Formats: sequence, C-alpha cells, structure tokens
Amino acid sequence: MNPTPLSENLGRIQRTALMVGVVGSLALLIGAFTSADQFFSSYMTAFLFWLGPTLGSLAIVMLHNMTGGAWGFAIRRLLEAGMRNVPLMGLLFVPILLFGIGHLYEWSHADVVAADAILQHKAAYLNRPFFTIRAVAYFAAWAFLAFAMVRLQARYDRHLEIGALRQMKSISGLGLVIYVLTMSFAAFDWGMSMEPHWFSTIYGLIFVVGQGLATLCLAVVVASRLARHEPFSRWFEPRHFHDLGNLVMAFVMLWAYMSFSQFLIIWSGNLPEEAPWYLHRIGHGWQALALLLVAFHFAVPFLVLLNRPAKRKMGVLAVICAGIFVMRYAELFWLIAPAGGAPFHISWMDVVAPIALGGLWISFFIRGLRGRPLVSLQDAKLLGKLEEAPIL
Amino acid sequence: MIAPGHSLGSVTDKISSIVLRRTTPRGWFIGLGIGLLLVGVLLTAIAELLFKGVGIWGLNNPVGWGFAIINFVWWIGIGHAGTLISAILLLFRQEWRTSINRFAEAMTIFAVMCAGLFPLLHVGRPWLAYWLLPYPNTMALWPQFRSPLLWDVFAVSTYATVSLLFWYIGLIPDFATLRDRAKAKPFKVIYGMLALGWRGAARHWERYETAYLLLAGLATPLVVSVHTVVSFDFAVGIIPGWHATIMPPYFVAGAIYSGFAMVMTLAIPMRKAFGLEDFITLRHLENMAKVILATGLIVAYGYTMEAFFAWYSANPFESSMMSGRMFGHYAWAYWLLIACNIVTPQLLWIKKVRTSVGALFVLALVVNIGMWLERFVIVVTSLSNDFLPSAWDTYAGTRWDWMLYIGTIGLFLTLLFLFIRFLPMISIFEMRTMVPGTSKKEDA
Repeated sequence: MNPTPLSENLGRIQRTALMVGVVGSLALLIGAFTSADQFFSSYMTAFLFWLGPTLGSLAIVMLHNMTGGAWGFAIRRLLEAGMRNVPLMGLLFVPILLFGIGHLYEWSHADVVAADAILQHKAAYLNRPFFTIRAVAYFAAWAFLAFAMVRLQARYDRHLEIGALRQMKSISGLGLVIYVLTMSFAAFDWGMSMEPHWFSTIYGLIFVVGQGLATLCLAVVVASRLARHEPFSRWFEPRHFHDLGNLVMAFVMLWAYMSFSQFLIIWSGNLPEEAPWYLHRIGHGWQALALLLVAFHFAVPFLVLLNRPAKRKMGVLAVICAGIFVMRYAELFWLIAPAGGAPFHISWMDVVAPIALGGLWISFFIRGLRGRPLVSLQDAKLLGKLEEAPIL
Repeated sequence: MIAPGHSLGSVTDKISSIVLRRTTPRGWFIGLGIGLLLVGVLLTAIAELLFKGVGIWGLNNPVGWGFAIINFVWWIGIGHAGTLISAILLLFRQEWRTSINRFAEAMTIFAVMCAGLFPLLHVGRPWLAYWLLPYPNTMALWPQFRSPLLWDVFAVSTYATVSLLFWYIGLIPDFATLRDRAKAKPFKVIYGMLALGWRGAARHWERYETAYLLLAGLATPLVVSVHTVVSFDFAVGIIPGWHATIMPPYFVAGAIYSGFAMVMTLAIPMRKAFGLEDFITLRHLENMAKVILATGLIVAYGYTMEAFFAWYSANPFESSMMSGRMFGHYAWAYWLLIACNIVTPQLLWIKKVRTSVGALFVLALVVNIGMWLERFVIVVTSLSNDFLPSAWDTYAGTRWDWMLYIGTIGLFLTLLFLFIRFLPMISIFEMRTMVPGTSKKEDA
C-alpha cells in the first residue's frame, strides 16, 4: 500500500511527540538539579500515569484472549503497540532506582528508621536492595508477558497457527494472575510506601482498575481518530464503540466502587493509623481536587455513558474517554503529591513531566503501530470485513 | 450450546413434559421427603428457639455473632450466582447462560429466603423485626442509619424483591406454553392466571424484552451492592480481621464463587436425573468451572492481601489475629479453608478436570464447604480473640445451631424439588432461540 495521508500524518505526530519528549525531558533535567524532591514527585506521578496504558494494554489483551469478543479484535493492534512500551517504561524507571529512592521514601533514611519502631518492623520489606530487586522482577515479568503476547500473535498472523493461539490463551490465564499480583505489590512499593505508616488492602486493585481504564480510554481515542480514514472507517463499527463504551463504564464504576469502599471503611473505622492518609488528601487545599475526581472521574462519565446513543457515537465517546484519561493523571497526582501532609501545590514540573513522558510514550507507540498490519489479517478475513490488512 | 438434532417442537416437548407428565418419578418423592424431614428439624429448632431464646445457641460474650451470621452470609452468597447468570451474563451477551438461568434464579430466591431467616431469628423476637424499618413511630425512634446492619435490611429486601420479579417476568411466556399444553383443568387455570393473558403477540414480546432488559440492568448493581453491604457489616467495625478495605470486592467475588459452585452442585445431578444433557451441556459446565476458577483466584488474592498486611501494618492486633488464625485454636478451620478454597480449585486449570462431570461435582462440593468455613473463620476467630486477652473465649455451635443450619438446607431442597416439578426449570422460549436456524436477537 502506498503512503496514505494518514500514514504521513502519523509520521508527523511521531516526530513531534519525540521532539516534545526530548525537549520536555531536558527541561525536567534542569528541574531535577534545582529541586530534586519536587522533580522525583512529579516524575513518579508521570511515570505511573504512562505505566497505566502500558500494562493495561497487556492486561486487556490477556483478558481478551480469555473472553473473546469483537471489541477486542477491533483494538487489538493498538493494545499490542501499547504493551511494546514495557521496555521504555523500564528504562524510565532507572532514574528513580538510581537517584530517586532517597527523595521519595522516608523509609530509605537510616536516621528516620532508627527513630521509628513501625519502620523498623517494615524494614525487612522496605529497604533499598529489596525494593530494587522487586522492581527488576516486576519489569522482567511484564516484559516477558508482553514479549510472549506480541510474538505469539505475530506467529498466528503469519502462518495462521492455531497452536500459537492456544499457547497465547494458556499464557494469558497465568499471566493475568502474575500481572495483578506484581502490579499490586508495585503499587504498594511505589505509591503506598510514600506514607510508610499507612496501609490499605485494596490499594493495589485500585491501581489495576485504573490502568485498565486508562488503556480503554486511550484505545477509544486513538481508534476514533483512525476511524475517520479509509479503510478503518469500514473496520470500526458503532457496535465496537458501544461495547468499548460499556467496558469503560464498567471500569469507571469499578474504580468508583473501590475508591468509595476504601474511603467509607477508613472513615467509619476512624483509626489514627489510617485516617491521616485521607486527612492529607481532603484537607490542606487538596479538597477541590478530591471533589474534581468525584465529578469527572466518576459522576459525569457515568451519567453520560448510561445513554446508549452516547456510546454508539464515536465523537461523544472519544471526548468522554479523553476526559477520563486526563482525570487518570489527576487521580495519581492526588495520590502522590499530598504524601506526608504537604499543602496544595502544583509545580511546573507536574505539568511538564506527564507531557514529556507522554511525548516519548506516544512516539514509541506510533512506532509500534507502523510497519505492521494495523488489523490482524486473519481477524479481518474471519470477520469478513477487509480483503487486505492495511499497513501504515 | 445445544446438542444437535433438536427442533423447536422437541425443545418444548422435552422441557414442558417434565412439568406436565402425570406420573412423578420415585426419586422426586424421595428427594422431597428428605427435604420435608429436614424442614421438620428446622421447625423444631425454631420452636425451641422461640420458646427458650437465643441462649440455646453457642453464642457467648466475645463471640456474639456465631452460626446465625455465618449461615446468613453463606446463603446470601450462594444466591448471587443466580442474579449474575441471569442479569450480568445477559448484558454481556453470553448465550450459554440460557439453559441454566431459570433454575439459578430459583436458587437465588430460595437461598435468599434461607438467608433471611437467620437475622430474623437472631434478633430474638422476630415478631418485632419490623422495628428495623425506618418509620415514624410514637417512640420517635429511628434505626441507626450509619450502621451497615440497617443497610443490610434495605439491600437484602430490595434484592429479594427484584430477584423475584425478574424470575417471574422471565417465566411468563413459559407459563403461557404450559397453559396451552396442560391437559388437566386446574393446571390450565393456574398456569393461565400466572401467564397474565400472554398471547405471544408482537407487542407483548416487544414490551417483554424491554422490561426484561431494564430489570437486568437493575439487578446488576444489586449483585454487587448486597454482598458489599454484607462485607461492610464486618469491615466498618474496627475488629482485627474484619476491618480491611479489600473486603468488599473479595466478598463479592466469594459470593459468586460459592454461588456458581452451588449451581454446579445442583445442575449435575439434575441434568442426569431428567436427561437434560442436551441442554445443560459439557460446555456449560466447563464455562461455569472457568468462572469458579476466576472468582476463586480473586478470593485467593483477598486472603493473600490479608496475610501480607497483617504483617505489613505493624499493628500488633492485626498480626496476632493472623497468627491466631493460622496457628491458634481454629487453625484446623483456616487450613481446611485454604485447602478447599485455594488449593483444590487450582485443578480447574486442567481441561480434563473441567470436562469431567464427576470431578466437577466433587470440586463444587468442596468449594461449598470451603466458603462456609471462610465465614466461620472470619466471624469466629476475629471475635473470640479481640483486644482484651482476659475476655477471650472459644466458640462452638450447639446442637440447635446445627439443626437450624441443616434445617435451612432442608427448606432449600424442599422448595427446589417443588420448583422442578411444577415450573419449567429451563427457559423454554429462550432455549428455542438456541435451535440452529432460528433468528437470534441481534445486538441486544
């Protein structure tokens, strides 16, 4: 297929994104030297934000391998490109491992631990070497799963190997278990231990659900852009968007359900070991952000997505999903920035970091999309939709 | 989804004949007899309870919630599979739900009835149970709206109402079929009244579909909300082992887990006894096995988090609760629960196990036992060892506790056997749409 306007367009976006990523990273580098504490807080938030669609892509592909469904075939390639970014995210975590631990986590300071009986108890888990080993192990597991999925899918596409499909299915079951467990502990390590006295058993699942939600939203936004061009306008159908809209709504509800349950249980328990975490986040100027989350991470998308026509109209759904995607950042910011009781503040780095990391992420994402059929030819034939698989 | 060789007529004949035939198989009488015998046990236990009071139970001072709460949670959890199968799987267009939804819904209603008995009896004076409802009264007393026990009243009663409505509406077209096919006058009249004048007109179907879909949408949040509120009964308190934020999703998953296990426990003997292997196929059983495996893993996740955070929290009460569970007086219950709920179900990863009817039946029973033990461990271990060692005490159910529990199983069996004999246990009209060549609803 000759280069299409769409292909050129994507190439342009890829270059721009890369440029934004590089320039943004350089700016952040300056920030890192002027205010390291702020830099690592912003960087961690942005890192967790873009980790969402990376691991979420992996998880949703594995989920789709188990359940099937037309919606999954429609966005499969987008998700594969997303999970190809696992190595990139691994690379982006290196600065945190090398320089960030001391700035982010008070448990890493020997003098703080020496004066704190609780931290001494937790030192067996919260210490630099073990933290590092765990992080390496998480990324190894995620990279292995992503690699396996991409490779098996490629084998299936090339030779229509049913064996590859079967293998993919059997890896997916175990892979989901591994993903949920590793991501939960990653959330405890990277997010929860910023306030090392606090704990909540549902915290990991809130991250897992958030990642699924971020992925679906990003996939809808990208798909709705692609669907304006031939031949994707024939590939994506209203029913795909309808199903995706239902899934987005389910994840929005799940997120709200878990977040609210956590709040209610901690509020009614009112224990000194738990309540401060919320007091840090619904006081000190953070309350407006908390209310913003209630409104735009839950209420508005939920009410709009209750309507069937809204889910079938690509444009409306894409706007809602873009909004939720932005709110994903707001939630992570709300989880990370107030740690330790800091009063409300937004640094320029809180704005630049997600854009810089996003630039890198998107440029690699587009690189992953290009050069291979954007629609699995086998799926396309199977569904009787397209005669040939379009390559960007 | 349905064995080959069936036509519209043969599906209708096969299912309706179970209800309409004159002779009743002897096995049915035996089953009903056992059920009724146990209902006798139930009535005895209730009579003794009302006569003497809750002192006949094994409750003591730290352990104020014993069998009554364990059994309540167990039964209500079992009910969840019915609503999940009928509502959520309908919304997700999982067609394999069709042959199992009817009796799963029936199971839900019967299980909720059994569940409801326990809190009613636990209040000691069930004739005053209406005090739980908020209504203006001369004493100017209101229930405590902050208490999840009150939310339970709302959640469970709403759940029971919607489940019953959902079940009944689903039955209407089949009542009409039975009305048209029944030979005996009394049955014609009864089924006719229940069919509400259904003639199968296009307009009837259109409204029916809308109503059914709306109810499915309404029932879906209920599945989640009921067991969430049940988990709040525990989690909003500050008792170690109860106060955990993971409780709501892990309770909901556990409910679905036990519910599917119960559907399996009932479906396997039933399809054999009534020759329904063509409708409840191996594929159905395998799908249910997958749901059991998935929800079982979520439950395992919950246990893992509880154990990890008992240590990570650095809270001495949390860690002593966990070591008490693992190595204390009730360690046998804890490890048996782990064996039943976590270890054994891993066999379901193997396809051979998932497609072996005998193995599935045994596994389903094991899960049923495991889920009962889970509630036993949660209720009893946390209460018996709370904050004050001088107040610690052990707990065991008395004869009357066991009689009440076994009695509700009898009530459940009795209702189930009556249902099988007098109502179509598989949805006839929905099964007809499964016959190849019939047009299916496109894009629900």
